[in-house]
Amino acid sequence: MSEASRDERRTERSIGIALGVSAVTALALAFTFAVGGQPQVEGALLGVSLGSLGWALAAWGKHLLPAGPFVQERHELGADDAPSEPVSRLVQAGEVDEPGPGGVPAVPDPDEDTMDAMGRRPFLLKCLFGAMGALGLAALFPIRSLGPNPGRSLFETAWRKGSLLVNEEGRPVRATELDVGSVVTVFPEGHVGAADAQTLLIRAVDEDLVTREGREGWAPQGYVAYSKVCTHAGCPVGLYQVATRQLLCPCHQSLFDVMDGARPVFGPATRSLPQLPLDIDDDGFLRAQSDYHEAIGPGFWERP
Amino acid sequence: MAARPAAAVWVVGAALVSLAVVALAPASAGPAARTIETGEVELGRRLFETGCASCHGIEAQGTPLGPNLQGVGAAAVDFWVSTGRMPLERNTEIAVRKPPSYDRPQINALIAYVTSLDESGPEIPEIDLAAADIVEGGQLYRSNCAACHGAVGIGGALARTRHAPRLGPATPLQVAEAIRIGPGAMPSFGPETFDDEQVSAIVKYVRELDSPEDPGGIGLGHAGPIPEGFVGWLVGLGVLLVAAWWIGERE
Amino acid sequence: MIRRLNAWFDSRLGTSGFVKTALNKVFPDHWSFMLGEIALYSFLVLLITGVYLSFFFEPSLKEVVYDGSYAPLKGVEMSAAYESTLHISFEVQAGMVMRQMHHWAALVFLAAMVVHLGRVFFTGAFRRPRELNWIIGVTLLLLGMLNGFAGYSLPDDQLSGTGLRIFYSIFLSVPVLGTWLSYLTFGGEFPAESIISRLFVIHVLILPGVILGLIGAHMAILWRQKHTQFAGKGKTEHNVVGSRLWPSYAMKSTGFFFILLAVLAALGGLAQINPIWLYGPYRAAEVSAASQPDWYVGWLDGALRVFPAWEIRAFGKTIPTVFFPGILLPGVTFGLMYAWPFLEARFTRENDREYHLLDRPRERPVRTAIGTAVIAFFVVLFFAAGSDVLATVFNVSVTGLLVAFRVLLVVLPLAVGAVTYRLCREAASLPDEEGAPPVVVRTPDGSYHVVEEDGEEPVETGAPHARARGGPT
Repeated sequence: MSEASRDERRTERSIGIALGVSAVTALALAFTFAVGGQPQVEGALLGVSLGSLGWALAAWGKHLLPAGPFVQERHELGADDAPSEPVSRLVQAGEVDEPGPGGVPAVPDPDEDTMDAMGRRPFLLKCLFGAMGALGLAALFPIRSLGPNPGRSLFETAWRKGSLLVNEEGRPVRATELDVGSVVTVFPEGHVGAADAQTLLIRAVDEDLVTREGREGWAPQGYVAYSKVCTHAGCPVGLYQVATRQLLCPCHQSLFDVMDGARPVFGPATRSLPQLPLDIDDDGFLRAQSDYHEAIGPGFWERP
Repeated sequence: MAARPAAAVWVVGAALVSLAVVALAPASAGPAARTIETGEVELGRRLFETGCASCHGIEAQGTPLGPNLQGVGAAAVDFWVSTGRMPLERNTEIAVRKPPSYDRPQINALIAYVTSLDESGPEIPEIDLAAADIVEGGQLYRSNCAACHGAVGIGGALARTRHAPRLGPATPLQVAEAIRIGPGAMPSFGPETFDDEQVSAIVKYVRELDSPEDPGGIGLGHAGPIPEGFVGWLVGLGVLLVAAWWIGERE
Repeated sequence: MIRRLNAWFDSRLGTSGFVKTALNKVFPDHWSFMLGEIALYSFLVLLITGVYLSFFFEPSLKEVVYDGSYAPLKGVEMSAAYESTLHISFEVQAGMVMRQMHHWAALVFLAAMVVHLGRVFFTGAFRRPRELNWIIGVTLLLLGMLNGFAGYSLPDDQLSGTGLRIFYSIFLSVPVLGTWLSYLTFGGEFPAESIISRLFVIHVLILPGVILGLIGAHMAILWRQKHTQFAGKGKTEHNVVGSRLWPSYAMKSTGFFFILLAVLAALGGLAQINPIWLYGPYRAAEVSAASQPDWYVGWLDGALRVFPAWEIRAFGKTIPTVFFPGILLPGVTFGLMYAWPFLEARFTRENDREYHLLDRPRERPVRTAIGTAVIAFFVVLFFAAGSDVLATVFNVSVTGLLVAFRVLLVVLPLAVGAVTYRLCREAASLPDEEGAPPVVVRTPDGSYHVVEEDGEEPVETGAPHARARGGPT
């Protein structure tokens, strides 16, 4: 037996073994499914079964089949002068037509006829485009049904004058509940979970709060409330760093100063988190004085 | 021989007495629900003077280097000292978990001393993991804790070199204490925000997060799409590139 | 048997000529030409696993109460989409493996496309006559990214829902049309009720259909134009050298397919990916620290983090910050990618003939340097997306890291480009590996000379360190 065919026999044997391994592991996989399955075992058995099959095929292709290398000529692309198949015009009884070569009535230049046929009627072409444009315009109406008119909805939330602040379980928040350094997520009563109305209620040190112009009385007893929707890209600004009195948004690391109207001090946000004006009612519950005075969340074209 | 039955009675009697002593003696482990032993306040004062007073003042009243500790509560003292965050080597450091400098009896002594100065402040929380509802714990965790500590508790970055730590190393009691006191940059959550049952529920969920079941396979550190992307490139594409290199030509 | 099949079809379709041509078609064999195959086969795996998943997934945001086998979520309110994904993962036979295979295949699909695009770029295979195929390829990359994003947003979990919120805000930032665009796409103010069911149709029907069609065109063009090849023995601009489609190329390729399937299956069972049960169902008022998108959207996330707080506000209107990294950057990136073959042809004035022999990257220092600089740019953005995770792992300041990334974003591409350019110029001046090793001769006066191949005067090398041919070192 020659050296080459001994190598071939060896390769053949290895391939055979690999295929055997593939079969056995596939059977084991079937058994695994039958007894209830387990993802790690399934993955491992599938991996071995497919892998040995793949190796076997690739090795077969690489070592046991005619390898070449083979050479093939490239045909030239872009040779535009190849004529299309000859086209003739069918002659009806009584028609007079110019016979071409061979006596058969031929179409003078089939390519010119075909490619330029439409271009010979520019007025009609313009009418056609007009009609298509009109149809496109009509198609806008079904597209319009995909969603409501934005209207003023981006400028309003569910907060109203007198809305009770409730926690995520719907329980109203008392003014005695939070110590300085505590924070809780609140919603207007009846709208727990509302994405645009989500608000952070923070108990801060009263004396340290900087009151912006026009916001007097918005933060009774050090309770200050800001929209939780980040003005950058809309993530909930969930991280309250008590030690530095800052709110950090986990998505793109915008940092807001709680003491100064949630003004952005780092990161890509450009606008402060809107502040919700608060009141404490006679029973000691926290209420909103009104809705936010500006649109919450990220900017958009119509937002001034 | 009359002496042997007598010796047996002595042995058995001694055994019974020592059993009784062990069974009835107060556990010297955890600080929960224990009465302060005599001498503990004095021991605590001495420990405080040597280890803490240089920053917090001899009567824990605070100095420019460290805050006032009067009224911080037993939970605070236990948390800061048992996690090793205190004492700090330099007051400008940010406190991080490290091996504690004091053992359990010493920590109990420090608690005794500080609370003796002012008894207000959060007490050591009572947790009951057996009765806790892990489902509620998960919901409370995701809405209040995940933003800083991560959905799977691996921790998170805060601004200016602070970090919300990984929760795995914390004991159940330390988790509960942190919730109540709000250490460092963390806000506090008092009994009107979470009652004791809810705190126990959160603790139970946090323990579950430390070693989740991972039915999908290797957890890749539970750090989300970043390690997944690396594995996809290095293992997934990497192995395939090696296979392509083997199958194809190389010149 | 092949002969019999050929005859049967030939008598009905007249295909024998085509079949014989096809079976004998020669494909060059270089391993770097198999990168497109990785993408193609990963896509096939996506189709197969995806069909299976689509039989169990419920694309609906209707609220249900969980009653399945994952205890920490029992009794929790969640969408039917999230619940059905949990069901697939925990109760459907082979569901976990199928779901994870699907997700790993998506990561590998996009990685393979990027690597394949890189190979095509750096070897100049996009030049005439292949500009059209380049355009199709870039489109495939874009559609693949979009489909991947749509796919991992379907389970409505906390992590992907956060990504959808950001996506909504990016749509919102488009000038003039932004609010309408968001409202019509999502079905209203965020989180509108229709988005999951619409994403499902996009992910399962529309985009895979378009991708399949484009893949068909991509391969048909490749078939027609024949594959490119590196220069070498016997290879010219007018031929292809390699193995024939049948039997060896087909066999090796099929084997490769199974190996790919094996890798994805092993990953699918052994490496956990996207454990949505740990993230919880999506709630608009909740978020997790360390939220990142899948790797192929990472550059966008990184761009959003490092772009400074710049906004345009005038005449009562706003162009918000996210517009620049969220719309403008991808627009410019893909615009330049589409235009590249034409830009390069214009600048090098080399559009006069067809190119079938590939460049070695070092032969084109400008193109290669631009390519590596762009890669460096996007790698920095990718790492910027992970800045909070990096800050946690290495215990550094995340704010400091972000400032550093801003600087790196400008400096690193320039540096990488410059270094690449120099390396290419130097490498190009080295003798080809295929050339004979230099012949060194030692003259009686003790000095060494390199003998030129064509028998010219020996070149004085000076220092007596050169290794003599055949002698001991």
